[in-house]
Amino acid sequence: MCTGDVDGPGSIVHDLSVQPRLHNSSQRRTRAQWVLLAYRLPREPSTPRIAIWRKLKRLGAAQLLDGLVALPLDSRNRERLEWLAEEVTEAAGEATLWLGELGSAAQERELAARMSEAVAGEYRAVIEEAGKLRAQTPGRRRRSLSYLRRGLRRIRARDYFPPPERELARQAVEQLAGAVEEVPA
Amino acid sequence: MKWATRPHCHIDRAACAWLIRRFIDPDAQFVFVDDPIDAPADATPFDMRGVELGHHGGDCSFETFLRRYDLDDPVLWQLGKIVHEADLDDERYDAPEAAGMDVLLRGLSMTQADEELLALTAPLFDALYEYHRRAILLGREPS
Repeated sequence: MCTGDVDGPGSIVHDLSVQPRLHNSSQRRTRAQWVLLAYRLPREPSTPRIAIWRKLKRLGAAQLLDGLVALPLDSRNRERLEWLAEEVTEAAGEATLWLGELGSAAQERELAARMSEAVAGEYRAVIEEAGKLRAQTPGRRRRSLSYLRRGLRRIRARDYFPPPERELARQAVEQLAGAVEEVPA
Repeated sequence: MKWATRPHCHIDRAACAWLIRRFIDPDAQFVFVDDPIDAPADATPFDMRGVELGHHGGDCSFETFLRRYDLDDPVLWQLGKIVHEADLDDERYDAPEAAGMDVLLRGLSMTQADEELLALTAPLFDALYEYHRRAILLGREPS
């Protein structure tokens, strides 16, 4: 957490109110702040390249161009991208960290919608999986439930612009939990 | 000695500060700066980008401390797994405590100033240490 202007002590780090909304009803809109990582890695060896890519995916970073990714600015995301920049440098690559905002509200909405759609797809996969599991034996359902819950937590952690699928996925998984309890062990 | 790190401590910085006071420098003084360049000349920086005592080779700063100071206490390495997962959540280790520690530390960083956060978390790390010390000695979960 290093951005005193964004979140000082006592403020909430992942305060959704400072992030862009998908509607534009407010007249005095404050543009959302982003933290960007521009990086370049040697083509070989490919291991660090893949490791970085996996970590960025896990964080839910938006890929803007090859070697340019963005996350909504908060102290946590900034720190995470700083450490990834360090990792790139240690793998003989180059990395710079940028703070910025989009030039127009329309572009901002477009990026938020893109990120929202990406996690929506992941939620839909969870909903589908939960649906399949309902037909399984109680034993398999029980084992799969904790796996699904863990997966859902992971998606929620990178869900910056929650789509309606977020709640639907939660319901689908919790319905499965109810179905597990109904059956005697 | 003086030690410099970033303000708004989360798990890794809090655990490092605890480690420093308990195992490296009992009289440690902590200075909080946003940029390593603002650290006092006589302070050792940690958990900041570009410093030796930071993240290296996939390790978090706490693990880097253990390596650099040759702390081979297995209990500390067990704590290192918890700190690593709470900080990085990359599933390198199985550390179920990590999720709870992450939430507690994040909450504390919202309600407490850094000095208070370090004071409040020291007993938590002491407790984790004692629990895992007994678990390692007993070879099972201590009660």
